[in-house]
Amino acid sequence: MIFNWIKKKIRKFKEERAFKAKLKELKKRDPFTYKNF
Amino acid sequence: MIKLGISAFYHDSAVALIINNKVITAVEEERFTGIKHDSSFPYNALSWLLKSNKLQLANINEIHWYESPEKKDNRVRTTFAKKPIRTFFLNRKYKKSKKSQNPKDILESMGYSGKIIYHDHHDSHASFAYYTSHFTDSAILTIDGVGEWETTTISIGTGKKIKKLISINFPNSLGMLYSTITAYLGFKPNEGEYKVMGLAPYGDINVYTDKLLSVFENTSNKYFIDQKPFTWEYSDKVMFSKNLYRLLGIQPRLPEEEINQDHKNLAAALQKVYEIQFTKLLKTAKNITKSKNICLSGGCAYNGVANTLAYNYFDSVYVPFAPSDAGSAIGACLDQHTETTPFLGPEYSDKEVKATLDSYKDRLIFFKLTEDKLIDKTSKLINGGNIVAWFQGKMEFGARALGNRSILANPRDPNMRERLNFVVKKREGFRPFAPAITEERYKQYFDTKEPSPYMGRVMNSKTSYIPSSTHIDGSCRVQTVSKEQNRKFHKLITKIGSYSSIPVVLNTSFNLKDQTITLDPEQAIERYISSQIDYLVINNFLIIKKV
Repeated sequence: MIFNWIKKKIRKFKEERAFKAKLKELKKRDPFTYKNF
Repeated sequence: MIKLGISAFYHDSAVALIINNKVITAVEEERFTGIKHDSSFPYNALSWLLKSNKLQLANINEIHWYESPEKKDNRVRTTFAKKPIRTFFLNRKYKKSKKSQNPKDILESMGYSGKIIYHDHHDSHASFAYYTSHFTDSAILTIDGVGEWETTTISIGTGKKIKKLISINFPNSLGMLYSTITAYLGFKPNEGEYKVMGLAPYGDINVYTDKLLSVFENTSNKYFIDQKPFTWEYSDKVMFSKNLYRLLGIQPRLPEEEINQDHKNLAAALQKVYEIQFTKLLKTAKNITKSKNICLSGGCAYNGVANTLAYNYFDSVYVPFAPSDAGSAIGACLDQHTETTPFLGPEYSDKEVKATLDSYKDRLIFFKLTEDKLIDKTSKLINGGNIVAWFQGKMEFGARALGNRSILANPRDPNMRERLNFVVKKREGFRPFAPAITEERYKQYFDTKEPSPYMGRVMNSKTSYIPSSTHIDGSCRVQTVSKEQNRKFHKLITKIGSYSSIPVVLNTSFNLKDQTITLDPEQAIERYISSQIDYLVINNFLIIKKV
């Protein structure tokens, strides 16, 4: 059970890390946002 | 009374000249700079407009600015004040841009000392739609990303008057939500929304719809959006936070990554959610105005799929030719109905065209034909499977090419869509093309009761004969063409019909990948030479590449 919990946490950590990397990449690109002012 | 309308600094900057309530000319800045949706002050467009009408700024009685900089400033400052530390650098950037974006300073520096009248952003949208419609009473629904505070409004037009009844304010914004998911799917906001719309029919609406809907809270007349998954209040880099990732459970897509089924499902869910919220707004508009008619405006009125839903509540639906901010340059100047057309931009005489063609003699062969011969020859070329760039008269105002700056092809050819998408326009294969049909015959082939002169609505096709202009779900974004609207284009489509039994042609804008719509003959020739387009027609000149 603990093993599964750890596995789940590691998977979540890896996914969020991948998300952060993508976010960082997107921020580098041409404005990826709708201009609101 | 000479009025000049200007929209600038969000996107689709434009100028319009209105003399005694008649729209004389209007043009977007992007056509001159080549920057899609150019938001800078429209110096080039203004310069062309004044020159072509033999005017100077001193001759203008009133300049109408399409929004209120003061109210916008209030919204931005109030929003930033909610997260002062997080928005510290953004605030500095804003203050800097604000200084250089003061309409009065800019116009004064150009020598204008007359009256400047500021209008609310959504009032300009509403005026453009209502006063260019044929309705004398109508509900008016405007939806976009954001104006000053408003993101959605419902008004009623009666005679010459427009009365606003409901406003939904920032940060609650359907337009922003659509753009956010567009960005999440790896497309550029304010540009990629069409792609998302085109992608939606390939997806399953059941996967993400409930998740996306969970951010909404609806009262009887309004919607509110939970801001936790979004950053549009305080970021100018990306529009979503990790909470959106947690909500959806899929990673955002980078532009170069392949589009998978998850992306298609998310696109389908977004379109569905937009339609659900749009339907609620339609119901509210019907209930509070009791009108049989509705005008749709704001950037979201380019969502032709959703626009068709308005027929569930209204007998007649009008979507103007430039519902986004460009059209507001015209809308800001209008206070009563006017008859206008989308053909408001630059045109070029045969002499000018000939002079340009002469300078390309080493690479092109060209013939000047009579109109009848040109129409006959072009219709045969199109029916024979050729792709023809068609450049005529005044340039269209708004995002759609409506038969004056178009690439035309045979929609009955099942391979034409792929050829145009991959070979000519070099864009995503899932994107559909529009059919243009004569107004006399549209009811025979499409399931709709009203003409759609500006491609404002998507409708179901009743025929299987035009596969290259029919989307995967059997829908088409139809343009109906009347003699009065565009005589020469109508004549061409009629001729095509005389050879093929259906008076319909595939019509897509005359531009290549990431380009703005073609402005002048020189640009037309350059694009023709550098592409796989088979023939080019400018005015009555038929042009062929030398082998």
